[in-house]
This record gives sequence, C-alpha cells and structure tokens, in this order.
Amino acid sequence: MLQAIADGILSGSIIALGAIGLTLTMGILRFANFAHAELVTWGAYMALGVLSLTGAFMGPLAPFSFGVPLLMATLVAMVATALLALAIDWLVYRPLRGRANHLTLVFGSFGVSLLVRMVILLLFGGAAQYYSNTLQIAMKVAPGLRIMPDQIFTLGLTAVIVVALHLFLQKTRLGLSMRALAENPELARVNGIDTRHVVRWTWIIGASLAAIAGVLYGLTVQLRPEIGFHLLLPLFAAAILGGVGNVFGAVIGGLIVGLAESISVLFIPAGYKLAVPFMILLLVLYIRPTGIFAGTVGGGKS
Amino acid sequence: MKSMIASGLMGAGLVLSGAASAQAQDCKIAVGSVLSITGSMAAIGSAIGDAGKLAIDHFNEAGGVNGCEVNFILRDDQGSPNVGVDAAKTLVEIEKVPVLLGAIQSGVSLPILTSVTVPAKVTQISCCSSAPSFTELAREGGTQGYWFRTLPTDRPQAAVLATIAAEKGYKKIAVIHVNSDYGVSLATRFRDDAEKLGIEVTGVTPYNQEQASYRAEVNAALQAEPDALFLVAFPADGATVAREWISFGGSQNLILSNALRADEFVESVGAQYLENAYGIDNAQVEGESVEAFNTSWKDAKGSDPNGPGLHVMYDAAAVALLAMEQAGEADGTAIRDNIRKVTGGEGEPIYPGAEGFKKAKTLIAEGKPIRYVGATGPITFDENGDVTGPYLIYGVKDGELATLDRWDKARVEAALEKLQ
Repeated sequence: MLQAIADGILSGSIIALGAIGLTLTMGILRFANFAHAELVTWGAYMALGVLSLTGAFMGPLAPFSFGVPLLMATLVAMVATALLALAIDWLVYRPLRGRANHLTLVFGSFGVSLLVRMVILLLFGGAAQYYSNTLQIAMKVAPGLRIMPDQIFTLGLTAVIVVALHLFLQKTRLGLSMRALAENPELARVNGIDTRHVVRWTWIIGASLAAIAGVLYGLTVQLRPEIGFHLLLPLFAAAILGGVGNVFGAVIGGLIVGLAESISVLFIPAGYKLAVPFMILLLVLYIRPTGIFAGTVGGGKS
Repeated sequence: MKSMIASGLMGAGLVLSGAASAQAQDCKIAVGSVLSITGSMAAIGSAIGDAGKLAIDHFNEAGGVNGCEVNFILRDDQGSPNVGVDAAKTLVEIEKVPVLLGAIQSGVSLPILTSVTVPAKVTQISCCSSAPSFTELAREGGTQGYWFRTLPTDRPQAAVLATIAAEKGYKKIAVIHVNSDYGVSLATRFRDDAEKLGIEVTGVTPYNQEQASYRAEVNAALQAEPDALFLVAFPADGATVAREWISFGGSQNLILSNALRADEFVESVGAQYLENAYGIDNAQVEGESVEAFNTSWKDAKGSDPNGPGLHVMYDAAAVALLAMEQAGEADGTAIRDNIRKVTGGEGEPIYPGAEGFKKAKTLIAEGKPIRYVGATGPITFDENGDVTGPYLIYGVKDGELATLDRWDKARVEAALEKLQ
C-alpha cells in the first residue's frame, strides 16, 4: 500500500507537469490539443539525442543516476520542444484558428500528433531506450517501501516548478495577461493585451514543461515512441479533473490520476490499470463537467 | 450443360480407373497435407511442403509403400481455419487419404483435428503446431490417439527449469509471465513442477505486452520477497520487467524463458545484472541422421535446409509412411497403431533418405523391429502424441549470451519422469 502511494505520487507528478501545459493551452487557446502528449515524447527524445551527441562527459552526480550532461540536455530539449510547439502553431493551428471550427483544430492536432510520433520513430527507432544503462537500485526506506533517488529528484523538481509557475502567474505582467486571456478573451483584447504575444508564451511554457515531464519519464521509466500516446488519457483526465485552465487543479488532478492508477492495482488485475483514467474522466464529466477546481489560470478565484 | 455432363462423365471415369488400378500391383496411395502456401505463414509454408514431398520421393525411390506408389496431395489453408478445414475435408472425403500432414498454425490444426480427422479416423501428424492445448485435448481423450506432432512442445521446458532451480537450492520463486497462451501454460506448468520439487511459488503474476512500465506487476511479485524470479517474456517487455525487478531490489537470481535468449534482452538489462540468470531453449539437434537429411535436401534443392519446419515436416511424412509399411495397409487407425512400433524402442535404426527407407522395408518384410531416427534425431512419441527434444541451458558470461549446459533427450525424459 505504502509502495503504491509512493509510486502513484511519482507518476502523478509527471502527469501533472504534462497536464499543466495542456490545461494552459486548452484554457487560453480554447481547443483540446491532442498533440500535447507528443511534445512530452519529443522532449524526452531530444534530451536523448543531445546526450548521445555530447556523450556522458561527466560522471553521475551521486546518488542520482544522471549528471550534468542530462541536466544540460534537458535545457536543450526544452528549447527544442518549445520551437516545435511554435512551429506547429505557426504551420497548422494559426491558419486554422478563426477560419475553422474547434473540431477541425482537434482533428488537426490528431494529425500533428501522429506526424510527431512517426518522426521520432524514424529518427530513434521503436525499441525502448534509456538515458543510462546502469540500473539504480532502490533504497529501502521503510518495510515494504522502496524509493530510488531519481524519484525523489522528480518529486522535488515538480514541486519547485509548480511553485515557480504559481508565482509567475500571480506576480508577473505576462502571467496576469495569460490569466486574463483564459478568463475572458474579448475583455482581455479590449484591454490592450497582445494576444499573439500571450499565445506564444503559452506554447513556450507548456512545451518546456512537457519536455521536462518527458525527461523525467524517461529517467524513471523508459523511452519509447509511445510515451505520449500512453500519457494522452491521463493528461486529459488530470487537466479536466482540475478544471481547464487551472494550474493547481492540473497538479492535483495529475496526482489523483497517478494515485488512482497505482492503488487500483491492489484491487484489480494490473492489466486493467489503463482503464482507470477513463473511469475518472467519465466520473468527472458526469458529476462536475467543469472540473473539481473549476476556475481560472493560476488557481482558485484569488 | 453439355460440357458439364462431359466433365461429370470424365470424373466418374477417373474414379473408376482409380478403383481399377487399386486392384493392380502398381497401386497408388494418397498422403494428404494441409499447409499455408499463402497467407501469414506463406514465407515458410511452401518450403515445408517441399520437405514433406522429399520424404515421399525418397520412399517412392525405395519402392513405395507396400508396393504402391505414394502420391502427395498438398492443399493450401491460406492461414485460415475454415479454409484449412475445407481443404482437409476434401482430402479425407474425396481423396480418401489415410493420413494428413499439417497444419502449420495450431489454430488451423485444431479445428481440422476435431472436426475432420478424428471423426473420419484419419491420423494427423503436424510438423509445426506447438500449442499446449493439443496435449490437454489428448489427455482428455479428444484426439483418440490420432494426433501426433514432431515438434517438441514447451512442456519439458518447465520441468527442466524447475529441476535446475531445485538443484540451485531456491526456496521461494515468484513468476511473472506474458499474458498469452504460451506464457500462461509455461508459468502454470512451472508452478506445478516447482511445487512438486518442494519449492514454494509465491505468486504467478501476468503482464500485458507493450507497456512502458511494469512497476505494479513487479511490486506484486516482490511482496513475498522471493529468492528467485521466473520470467516468461519476450525480449523488449522482458527487459523492462527485469530492469524494474532488479532496481526495486528483487533478487538477481533470474530464471528465463526461451524467448529471452536474445542479445537485445541482455543489452537492455545490462549483462552485469544477469550473471546469476539461467534460461532454457531448444537445442539444434546434431548427429548422423540429421546430416543424412541435410545432405539429401542439399542434393535435391541445391541449398542448405535453413528454415523453420523443414526437419520436422520430413519426419512427420517419414513416420507416417513407415507406419503404413509396418501396418501393411493404408488405413488411418492402422497407421495410428503402428507409429510407435517404428519409432523409439530398441529396433534397428533407420535414417532419412531412400537408402534408409529401403533398409526399413527389408527389415519390416523380415519381421524385424525398426526404429526411425530422423531429421530431428531420435523420435519418441509420448501417450499424447508429443515428442521431446534436446535443450540447452543458457546464461550470460563475460557480457554475452553463453551456453552453460546441454540436456539431451534422456536427461529431459528423466526429469519429466521424476515429476510424473
């Protein structure tokens, strides 16, 4: 049970990072971007690509399984993923936005997601890969509870990012514009907010977070071209659960989905685990279609 | 209309002439075969058909069966059960074949067996169907003994692995297996065998293929803190399970299934974690009789017999023909009852090839016992029509896959005997 909770929080925090980006784009751009999950895959593989180019020029930072090279590769991956997101927006979504209805955009995002996945398949192959081939042996923290240092790093990083993002949305001008745009696009425009500028930064932030989620996923699980495809439902479940556009909601949503998936295996055969996010999504849509923390970007009605 | 009548008459004429020539000395016996010449198994199907044809050519060269020329009728199942059943029905009801060789896929062989050959009392020998369900069916009496196969089943694998585990002194073993017919049967069999040897099996956890993480499955298997893990998996998913198992503090005493004998698996897990691991796989059979087949194949085809199903198909056909010769009649039940008389036992060994079959015919005519040692080495069918084969035990040494031990048939059978 203890182990299931620990695993759930871990996978939940990765889902949360991905869901933050998704909830931001859904809230501000007002369409369900199915390609968002592929940004997670893209980020993870970009870091792998950088790592294989530079090589592990420094040993790992004990007790973690990775060192400075991976951290640098992650930064590069964030940039690469943000560029990809901007390129997709510029080439696909912008021409469609305004001219076509929401459904067209959704289908467009489906096409983009397939395209991104195939490009990754082409560049990196379909086999599972790892950032490092040395296995990290878990520490026994308590009876029946084993944790790896990498997992603690993942949790810590997620917490830092969430707090930083919260401050950004509450305190900075750009953050406030993003919240305003999510709350009421017309009013925001009337008030002289440069929507294109805000949209651009929404993509950059969302994509960077997706890249980090991808790297953390690759670090604690493994890299395969289907990462995004497998995360798609958990991400949407988390974003909708938390209320579209709500950053804290997405984090809590991610944790709930992660925990539910992990704890469910104690009661049902593990093969049915994938159905759990579906169930949560259905339940939320039935009971509270606006999400548990329905509200605006930045959390709450503050 | 006219042409229809004409062809009908021609058909009747053919049947009549066939019946007439059966009376004569230069009679004909038909051997039927249903294989996948097209469809998903097409890449290997026609070569397998050639192997069957080769055995029949060799026998005809040696003088045929009971003085009759053997005619090989090959039908395509297109890889589909209903086409296969239709083909088998035609062979059994119209061509009146006493023996049917095939099919390749278990999913095709099984419906043919239950709905065509067993009701018609025709012996069926498959080269290639390895599903455990046939053994189950035979044990329940569903095959009435008409089912044989020349491909070793996975039944002995569990027995050998469990025997080695007991020798190594493992007391508690967890099992994680792929959720397929293959995985379930190997896992349950291993559990039964291990428990007979006094090993506690702490849990049998299935996993579904193609998942990114098997943390939940690994955790479930880890709960009882076993001192070894039996992993039935395919290389990619197997590597994911093994990595998570080891990094979550599971024992590095791994027992691996045959499919994990792949460089990809060793590479992804890391050879340094697999030093205590051992696994099992079918060994390539060696020996004079195997060479005899390889040479005659090369003579006939101009290439080496590299491909699945060739050796086993040749043996399937050879066993059927020898049993027919031994029985003295081309009848399904007689073939069934004589197959074990020409295989196993203490008789004079008979090798593949026209020479070997000539020798067999002479010995049978003299009433002396024979024992077919075929393209797959010595063959012994058990009471369910299954054969056993030699196995190798593999492990990882100096960062690479290595063969640690070999188990010949006698050793495998001794291990099985102990577990009966």
